[in-house]
Amino acid sequence: MSDATTMTTDLAPIVETIEAARAARGRLVIRGGGSVVDRLPLTDAEVLSTAELTGVVDHRPEDLVITVRAGTPVEELSALLATHGQECPIEPLAGHGSTVGGRLATALAGPRQLQAGRVRDWVLRVRLVTADARVVTAGGVTVKDVTGYDLCRLATGSWGTLGVIAEVTLKLRPIPTASAWFTSERPASLVLADLYRPAAVVSTGEGTFVRLEEHPDDVVAQAAAVGLRSADPPTLPTTARAAVDPGRLAELTSWAQAAGIPHAGFAGVGVCLLDGDPDALAAAGARAAELGGSLLVLDAGATTLPMRPPPVDPMTERVRAALDPQQIMFDVRQPR
Amino acid sequence: MDPATATGTRRNVPPTAAESALLSDLHGVLGDDGLKTSVLSRATYRRDASFLNADPLAIALPRTREELAAVLRACRDHGVPYTPRAAGTGLAGGATPTGVAGVRPLVISVARMDRLLELDVANRRAHVEPGLVNARLGRAAAAEGLRFAPDPASQIAATLGGNVATNAGGIHVLTYGVMSQHVLAVELMDTDGEVHLLDGRLPEQAGLDLRGVSVGGEGTLGIVIGAWLRLLPAPPAVGTLLAGFDTLEAAAATVGALVTSDRLPDAVELMDARAIALVEDYAQAGYPTDAAAVLLLEYEGLSAGVSAGVDTAERLATEHGATEVVRAADADQRARIWKGRKAVAGAIAKTAPDFFLQDVVVPRSRLGEMLDAVVAISEREDLVILTVVHAGDGNLPPFVLFDRREEGVLDRVFAAGHDIVTTALALDGTLTGEHGVGIEKRDFLSQIYTADDLAVQQAVRRAIEPSGLANPDKVLPTTVGCLEASMVPEGAWV
Repeated sequence: MSDATTMTTDLAPIVETIEAARAARGRLVIRGGGSVVDRLPLTDAEVLSTAELTGVVDHRPEDLVITVRAGTPVEELSALLATHGQECPIEPLAGHGSTVGGRLATALAGPRQLQAGRVRDWVLRVRLVTADARVVTAGGVTVKDVTGYDLCRLATGSWGTLGVIAEVTLKLRPIPTASAWFTSERPASLVLADLYRPAAVVSTGEGTFVRLEEHPDDVVAQAAAVGLRSADPPTLPTTARAAVDPGRLAELTSWAQAAGIPHAGFAGVGVCLLDGDPDALAAAGARAAELGGSLLVLDAGATTLPMRPPPVDPMTERVRAALDPQQIMFDVRQPR
Repeated sequence: MDPATATGTRRNVPPTAAESALLSDLHGVLGDDGLKTSVLSRATYRRDASFLNADPLAIALPRTREELAAVLRACRDHGVPYTPRAAGTGLAGGATPTGVAGVRPLVISVARMDRLLELDVANRRAHVEPGLVNARLGRAAAAEGLRFAPDPASQIAATLGGNVATNAGGIHVLTYGVMSQHVLAVELMDTDGEVHLLDGRLPEQAGLDLRGVSVGGEGTLGIVIGAWLRLLPAPPAVGTLLAGFDTLEAAAATVGALVTSDRLPDAVELMDARAIALVEDYAQAGYPTDAAAVLLLEYEGLSAGVSAGVDTAERLATEHGATEVVRAADADQRARIWKGRKAVAGAIAKTAPDFFLQDVVVPRSRLGEMLDAVVAISEREDLVILTVVHAGDGNLPPFVLFDRREEGVLDRVFAAGHDIVTTALALDGTLTGEHGVGIEKRDFLSQIYTADDLAVQQAVRRAIEPSGLANPDKVLPTTVGCLEASMVPEGAWV
């Protein structure tokens, strides 16, 4: 079903770069908009950029489906979809020029993950240039597809370790008819329990922030029922992110509150964004680990801590080895 | 290929030395109660809810993880393949015990591992064993004001392990998503009896999403022995609408308008005149029997949004020429409207001894073309084909009804099935939306994927399940690129 000619033309430079790296036994690091990679320590790995790989391949508003090249900025995609009253709730990282491919590759959560679900749940099809230089497609353009193994989800959150995500087909939905941010003095867990499927509940040093996305009358009614006040969106820290079991997030946010560390915990999701000096981040990492979670520092200047991906199942290593036998794809999360 | 031979030519074949050794080991682990080898037992486990069937070596029914691990290690030690199953409601032959190269597989049923291990109300999740029936989890969740969204038509019998293994769908996929979206973590047991917790409970940074690959793995990657499932709060308001139309086209056009309206319905089902007549006769759901098609629509959530959604649906249906629109006034009327949809399989069983079910998906805007094509195929092959569609998803399982005793009917059934699939593919659609590949659609995969695509799928499969003993003949051909070499085992007919 793929248009082999177009694809070869588009992806030839990527295939060539991968083949050259294989021949030279070099290592590659994939860069989309740079929102993650540019903030990490430099490596000797060669940068493989998806910056040229932009634009919409196919938009079918009537099917709630769009196909874009991976280097397309998330904001550009959102603006285009908004003209059709549609959205794909993949959230950009604050202020850093995220690309669609980068957001898929890292699969980092935003506050709206609470209601909208994970990035992986919006991906219908992926074209991947594997680390052994094969151009492969997984998934299809229909909203349901169980034909073969779900390699779309495998690619999502793979941090570039399996290959280059080149093109993505995404599921869309109508933009909610009304949406607004509110604030509350009550703990996030209680607010979350009292609301029916809020879009986001964020626990910060300044209180609990809530986003509702509903019919306008329902937004007003829910806010009144729980005693929410209108507010601007919360400020989100950008230095590091802790991931814990959502059931243990409150333990992390109250610890950060007591320690005076700026934080934004996504209730019901289990991610807490943090700012702080190296000592504070080291303490946060230790606290996250005690809670069975992990800490990802996304700013090389902020800490000497190595970024530590959590330990992985041996199956993960086997899958990586199957698609990248020469280990040319550099995992930017590795300590170095 | 003659159905008359389907009773199985291998029943009296004595076990090989390796098979006897395995059975002896298994008996030591499971005893008489947990190991079935009789002709009758083997006949019971020949097939799932598809009509693909084959003779298994025996059936193992472990009750615990320890027993299951011992069973798997015995398979490994004796080099005997295994086919996992539970309730056997699958529709693609995924649980049909085909082996490789004439080796009969052991059926491993996880139906007795059926506990709800934990219902974590505060964090809205459940830890389940694979044999737990979908509807039982639904009832336990409902008692706490929660719901489990995936609701395949077979949910009163289908197990959650099977739902995970096939990445099952259901009526509410349009807004809630398929099974994978509701699986937080999978515990997968490999052929060495080792348990792998895939994905765990972290929201990000959790390594490769092997959970996502194992969901829909159809038993080829190991055995799902547990899962953490996501529960949602029960919706405070529900609105249900039944609309009748004079033509299939008008119903399909209404679906198109609904999908691009400002609020997606949570369920959109379409049934054609034949399906209506059949279920009305069987279940008296109150559908208009003179309609060419009905749409069943549901909106869930907060009250204003639900009311607005139902208003919009009523307006769009009327604008597209609906001849009758009924809004469910209460829970009883709502249940009655859905009763007809849920009675389809029962109504069919009462009407025809056999049915063959496709599961193609097309982009929603091509639904009208696909429905027209199914009508044409039905006329050409002189077969009764019922159309019952998850219309909001573009997923149509046309039920081809037949009686296998009718001479030559199978050829026409397969011709119809083949034409339905090729039509869907030509409309940019795909083979299967929720039933899985199993054996039935395996050899169509090369029409969708390139040799490289399939080679990568195979590489991932081998990396996760290196032994090659887990449900070996399913999903992908055993040797990718040699599709013609895939075998129909002796004693099976397809």
